[in-house]
Formats: sequence, structure tokens, C-alpha cells
Amino acid sequence: MMDGAANSALSVSGLRAGYGGGGDIICGIDLDLAPETIMAVIGPNGSGKSTFVKTIAGLLNTRAGEISVTGKNIGNLSPAKRVAAGLAYVPQEANIFRNLTIRENLKLATEFLRGRTGVGPAQEMQVLSMFPEITRRPKTLAGNLSGGQRQMLAFACALLANPEVLLLDEPTAGLSPKFVGETMEAVARVRESGVTVLLVEQNVSAALQIADEVLVLVAGQKRLQASAAEISKADLAALFFGKAL
Amino acid sequence: MVAQLLLNGTITGLLIALPALALTITFGVLKFPNFAIGSMLTFGAYSAWIFNRLLNAPLPVAAVLSAVTVAGVAMLCNFLVFSRLRDRGSITLLVASMGIALILENICRFAFGNATRNFNIEIARPIRWLGLRVNQEQLTIVIVVLVCVAVIQFLFYASPIGRAMRAVADNPALAAVRGVERNFIANVAWALAGALVALAGVLAGLDRAIDPLIGWNYQIPIFAAAILGGLGSPIGAVVGAIVIGITEELSTLVLPTNYRQVVSFCVILILLLVRTQGLFGGKALRK
Repeated sequence: MMDGAANSALSVSGLRAGYGGGGDIICGIDLDLAPETIMAVIGPNGSGKSTFVKTIAGLLNTRAGEISVTGKNIGNLSPAKRVAAGLAYVPQEANIFRNLTIRENLKLATEFLRGRTGVGPAQEMQVLSMFPEITRRPKTLAGNLSGGQRQMLAFACALLANPEVLLLDEPTAGLSPKFVGETMEAVARVRESGVTVLLVEQNVSAALQIADEVLVLVAGQKRLQASAAEISKADLAALFFGKAL
Repeated sequence: MVAQLLLNGTITGLLIALPALALTITFGVLKFPNFAIGSMLTFGAYSAWIFNRLLNAPLPVAAVLSAVTVAGVAMLCNFLVFSRLRDRGSITLLVASMGIALILENICRFAFGNATRNFNIEIARPIRWLGLRVNQEQLTIVIVVLVCVAVIQFLFYASPIGRAMRAVADNPALAAVRGVERNFIANVAWALAGALVALAGVLAGLDRAIDPLIGWNYQIPIFAAAILGGLGSPIGAVVGAIVIGITEELSTLVLPTNYRQVVSFCVILILLLVRTQGLFGGKALRK
């Protein structure tokens, strides 16, 4: 395992992954993410950002490399067991159970934590108060919510599991500008509550406003990992078009 | 006459409801139609017969032991066959279930031959009520099925396991990242399906003699009921079963009784042409 992994909230070393018998989509990525930080994962379309977080969540098998959460190796665990290790994942699409009500979605979020304790009643109230629009209508089928409301419900479900690390895959995709702002504010509040966030985002400027660190992926490879404050738009443009800094 | 047929049809429908419910549970969670449902029913009837006739257990005890046995057999089939083929697609699983059906049916045939058998129960006089004739077996069917449907409804909508089963049916990948192990839920689904089908086998054995084809006689109505209700919808399966039962009984007014299964075929045909999602299963089937 890499140096500093024990102190990292999320640590990835030499990660390789791909679909079926095809070639690697993720080609040997390393990263260390300090606790209570937001890392924005950005890159051009097809660079492997979503595949990267899916692999960390366990939905795609790891071909090589290690993944650890708070020092515990989770690379060989099933997605469900990774939840117990403190990982929560909010997919880009289909991120709520459409045929369950809002209340059922929220209940299910803490019922199968496999030994891990979800948030306590006080914290639960705090989490739910972040998303008043969804908690007002507990009996509504989640499939009847708007895109933004679904995103909020998905967030709430992930947070109720009291995760160490939250993986967010393009949470603002398809949302109106109003919801983009609200979503990013919610992500920033999540970090303030002590959760480490790995945020895959196409909306680079929105992501950079809240991120502490930036990971740039191009063609499944890490092109840059830097502080968000240090990186300029010109640097990003150069990286997106395949130039070295 | 018509009222009696309606009553008989409702009871036949309730009998079909349990395996239709089992079919829809496994379809919802595992996304394939289990063709072994009829053979599992046969297996349930014979295992209850063993406990009742050979081991002298009272029929209610034999029914419970049979439910446990078939639940175990269903989980064993899942472990040995279905779980290993899960990623090969629904057609592969369907074909595998045909193989399981042949194996279960032939185990019964090999062990018990083709002779018909009956449970050891006292023969009771039928009840007359408002000019309708209701026998004790029919009353037993109504009570057992209603209790089972209530338990399943409670399990599905008021328990964590039920929520998890509905979540896996809705979105298995998301359920996994919410901590729900699909293998565990698949086992629960098979156990539930096995228990329900075994109880249906016992009820079918009350209604008629037990033979190796007892389950096969119900196979088409079970599928028709589950498809009519909308595969994946538990309430739909029960409603579909009652509609099929009543329609089959009423068809005897115009058709010879041994042609009543034609009705189930026609229902399946019409649904496949006109409303593939059935009555209640829009989202479930489209997915």
C-alpha cells in the first residue's frame, strides 16, 4: 500500500479497470485524499471519470491495484460490504429507487449498513433539514420527483449512512442552473459535516468553486493532481486538449 | 349456477394466486420467468404427502414442513444453478429452470410412480350458504391464501427485507451500493417462492388427487395470472389469478370443462398483443 494511505480518507494505488474483455478504461491511477476534503475529478468526455468512481464503489471489478478507505483495503469487497467500510456512492443516473416512496428510500439507506452505525437521531434531523423539499412529502413515490429533487434524495440517502467517503458522479448533470447552485452548496455542507467527497463533474467551474483538490483524468490516466486554488483555467484547457503542463 | 361458478372460480383463482405470487417475486428480483414453478408445486404436494401419510403428521404440520422443505430445495437450486448463471441473461436462466422442472418432476415420478395419491384427512360435509355449496377444502384454500397474501404484503411493504427486495427489483446496482447483498435477497426470494409454491401444492392436493402432473396442470394459469397482473407486481398477481380463475370457470358455460385452460392461453396471447405490462406492472415489465 502507498505511503500515507493510513492517514488518507481514500487511497487508490495503481488502479486498473475496464468493461468485459475490453481494454483498460482506467490505466493505473494513484491518489490519496485527505479527510474532510473535496476532490473534483474532471476531464474530457470518455476520460474514464465515471468508470473510476464505479470501480471504487465496487460496481466494476478491479483488474489491478488497491483501494482503501481510512486505511482499510476494500478492493476485494462486494459493493455492499464497501458500504460497511464507510463508502457511499451516488450514481449519475438511477440514483434513487423509483418504485419506493421517499420515506422508504430514506429508511433503506440505514437498514443494511452491515454493522456500521448510521447517523444518530440528531444528525439525521440535521441531514434531513438540508433537504426540506423532499422531507415534506414522505409518501411521494421517488420516481415522481424532479431531477433536482431526486439528486437531493440520493444525497440524503448517502449521508444517512454516515459515510467516511462520498463518491458523487456528476450530481449536476441535467439540472437547471438553480439546482446546480443548490447541489454544489449541499456538497460543500457535506464536507463541513466531516465527510470526504470525491466529486466527478463535467461542470468544471462549478466544481472548482467548492473543491479543495483537482484530479484531471485524460484517457483513463491521471494527468494532474493539484490544489484547486493553484490550478488555472488555462492549465485545465491545456490538459483537456492533451498538452502537458 | 353462475353464482356457484363465480365462487368456484374465485377459489380456483386464490389457489393459483400463491404460485403466481411466487413467480412474480422471483421475476421481480431475478428478472426471469421461473418455468419450474409447476414442478415445485408438485414437489410441495408430494413432500407434504410424505409428512402426512408416511410420517403421520397432521396436514397443517405437514404443510409447514413441506414449505420449509421446498424453500430449502429452491435455495439449493439457486446455489447450484441459478446463482452461477445470473450474469448469462434471462433466457439462459429460463432454460435452466426448464431443466430444474424436469428434474423435480421426474424425482417425484421415480419415487412415487404415476398412481394418484391423497392426503390423510377426514371427509367433511360441504356447507350450504345462500344456495351455494362450499366444501371444507375450499374454505381452507380461502383462509390459507388470504393469510399468506397478508403476510407477503406486510413483508413487502412494512419490513426491511421487503423494502430491500423491492429495491433490488427496482435497481440492483443501487441496492448493492446501499448495502443490500443481492445473493442474500435472491436466497430470500427463492425461499419465499418455494414456501408459497409448496403451500399451493398442499392446497392443490386438497382440491384434487396428487400425481406427477399436478403442478403442470396449473402451469399455464399461473403464468397467465402473473402476466395479467403484471410480472413483478405482487397485488397484480393475486388479482390476475382471481380473474383467471373466474374466467376459466365461467368458460365452462360455453366450453367443455377440459378446454378451460384454453382461456389462460387466450389471456396470455391477448396480453402479449395488446398490453404486455399487464394490469399493474407497467414499470416492472418495461425495465
